[in-house]
Amino acid sequence: MSFRDWYRIDRLPTIYCVGCGNGTVINCTLHAVDTLGWKWEETVFVSGIGCSSRAPGYIKTDSLHTTHGRALAFATGIKLARPDLHVVVFTGDGDLAAIGGNHFIHSCRRNVDMTVICMNNWIYGMTGGQGSPTTPRGAITTTTPYGSGEGVFDLSALAVVAGANHVARWTSYHVKELTRAIQTGLETPGFSLIEVLTQCPTAYGRRNKLRDVAETVEYLKDHAILLQKYNRLVQEGKPVPEDMFTVGEFIRRNRPAMGVPP
Amino acid sequence: MKLVIDSDRCKGCNLCMLVCPYRIFKEGKDQNERGIIIPELDRPERCPNCRLQRLYGRTVCGLCQMICPDQAIRWDDEKENEPQKVVIEF
Amino acid sequence: MQGNTACAEGALAAGCRFFAGYPITPSTEVAEHMAVKLPKTKGVFIQMEDEIASIAAVIGASWTGARAMTATSGPGFSLMMENIGYAAMTETPCVIVNIQRGGPSTGQPTLGAQGDMLQCRFGSHGDYSIIALSPASVQEMFELTVKAFNLSERYRVPTFLMGDEIIGHMRERLTIPDSVEVIGRKKLDPGTMPFKAGGDDIPGFPVFGEGYGVHVTGLTHDERGYPATTNPKAHEKLVMRLVRKVESARKEIADYRVTSPDAEQVFVSYGAPTRTVHQVLHDRPKEEIGHLQLRVVWPFPEFALSEFPEAKSFLVPEMNLGQMAREMERHTDVPVIPIPKLGGELHTPDELVRALEGSR
Ligand SMILES: Cc1ncc(C[n+]2csc(CCOP(=O)(O)OP(=O)(O)O)c2C)c(N)n1
Ligand code: SF4
Ligand code: SF4
Ligand code: SF4
Repeated sequence: MSFRDWYRIDRLPTIYCVGCGNGTVINCTLHAVDTLGWKWEETVFVSGIGCSSRAPGYIKTDSLHTTHGRALAFATGIKLARPDLHVVVFTGDGDLAAIGGNHFIHSCRRNVDMTVICMNNWIYGMTGGQGSPTTPRGAITTTTPYGSGEGVFDLSALAVVAGANHVARWTSYHVKELTRAIQTGLETPGFSLIEVLTQCPTAYGRRNKLRDVAETVEYLKDHAILLQKYNRLVQEGKPVPEDMFTVGEFIRRNRPAMGVPP
Repeated sequence: MKLVIDSDRCKGCNLCMLVCPYRIFKEGKDQNERGIIIPELDRPERCPNCRLQRLYGRTVCGLCQMICPDQAIRWDDEKENEPQKVVIEF
Repeated sequence: MQGNTACAEGALAAGCRFFAGYPITPSTEVAEHMAVKLPKTKGVFIQMEDEIASIAAVIGASWTGARAMTATSGPGFSLMMENIGYAAMTETPCVIVNIQRGGPSTGQPTLGAQGDMLQCRFGSHGDYSIIALSPASVQEMFELTVKAFNLSERYRVPTFLMGDEIIGHMRERLTIPDSVEVIGRKKLDPGTMPFKAGGDDIPGFPVFGEGYGVHVTGLTHDERGYPATTNPKAHEKLVMRLVRKVESARKEIADYRVTSPDAEQVFVSYGAPTRTVHQVLHDRPKEEIGHLQLRVVWPFPEFALSEFPEAKSFLVPEMNLGQMAREMERHTDVPVIPIPKLGGELHTPDELVRALEGSR
């Protein structure tokens, strides 16, 4: 099987805008799932509400497209009731960190055995570009027309302190690394968060001088700094450019988890 | 095998151009019937995946297919007797 | 045994294997009893981070085929509303126990009320139908919980056990039968579209993990389960079916008790005030006083009112400002006299007698 066989062919093309990174992230996820030889009958995709959360509708497994922010709670029910099923969650930054923030930290704390893929595009895409908890300071959105003045959540750091067993961050440019990270997440018992910085040319790019899709992806590539390199720079007391973000694996550990198949 | 872009799915984002180490994808010129400018292929037979995926039994490189957000890139079997140019670049 | 414990026992007897909840007075004993019992029967108990998550987990578990339940009260019930609508839209069987307390807001945590009777019917946005039962004794807490599961599974609809603090915390003798009737959900025939229903308007259930590859969404969907949000016909067809599958089965779902059908004065009650009515009837054996006890409240069995052809007035004691009395008025020309009571205490027999005499 190839990752392409996991798609509901009759649902393609997706509703996503031209150059939306979500499609890439679905590719990588399905590639990881396929590489592990998982059966589609035994895999369930769950999501909340948002562009990113439309992903399960394009995948031929059983899938639950739930309410805004609550995907992890629904997924917890599925996983605890049927630990033998593989549960993968697609979510967005608003879905996971704003309205679903409480479910997010508690799912990490419980360390429920599931893999959560967050398409972090720094914006509320589906509702047309409002600020989210990950909107960078100064960025223009429809609800921060003079530039966002709020602090920003580091989703991966949050997941680490909240207790997740595996946390990694990549971008929609790093398809190979991302696929490998997702695969590790799927294999790690317990809660795994894969944060993917991804482009939303329509709702974010258009307002923030990142209109061109390729340019945005180049931006993601150029501003990503490998965690190890970042740590080395810090250790050596060298300056780290301000607008860089770290990518790589933040944690992999083996804390007691819930819903792990016997 | 032959690299093809599915013109029903491609939305013309040009992300494939960004990742291909062989620069096989070139900016397209003409709009198709859906108003989308699909990238053109420059000597696609250079793509290692065209030549090697059968041999290795897996996708070789495949970056363009992975990044294509619209699942538009695939490799088809050639028709019988379709001439296949093999260009090795050094 | 306490009413809340009887409810938990009823759930276990009905085959409940998944409970998710969040502590709230006066419902907590349901969760506590499930926490003790479920792990011993290979079931799952989980305390979630809030009531939104609790009902979400219940719905998720239900899609794996598990009989699933949550229990809450006022504030928690309000939090559940969005996902209750999701359960209605996706036709997910689940049982929601609401041990009602005084509202609005935090209100009276330790005292009883029946203020959520309209909320359970109409609380989530949009048009849909649900089933709600109302127990008036510890025995009924058990029996109606079993029944709630069976109705929920059969009709694929969120089903409410609308108790109250008085019945929930009351201690009475409970007889647990050796076995109870358990009705499971009808499975989807392979090859049939997952949201295509037959004549009974209830589609078969595609259990997750059994190879159906079903997409479940709270968006307006077609019979394949795929989003059809901008299709007016698809929306109308779906919502009409969701309402019809319950409303057209009102007679089968109905459960009520009739006393003295020839009476001119008829008490209509559900839940705790039923007990005061019993007391009044007991105290006045010589008078002909009618009584209709609704054990299923929603869908409202309007035909039950015609069991009293001589009725000149329906007296409706409720621990709210007349929520079900308002529904009754829609269905009968006989005067409906609400007997509201707020404050957390049950009606006294005197209060009912005064209303009875006033109506003559
Ligand atoms: C309870 C609730 N509040 C608000 C909305 C409206 N809404 C739909 S999607 C969305 C934001 C989605 O943003 P994000 O999670 O970042 O996903 P994206 O669309 O960017 O992928 C909002 C606010 C909703 N559906 N439900
Ligand atoms: S609005 Fe943004 S996130 Fe949504 S489909 Fe378009 S590009 Fe993607
Ligand atoms: S597989 Fe690699 S080399 Fe071949 S076309 Fe795609 S990106 Fe280029
Ligand atoms: S990446 Fe895919 S959708 Fe974008 S231009 Fe290339 S083939 Fe078309």
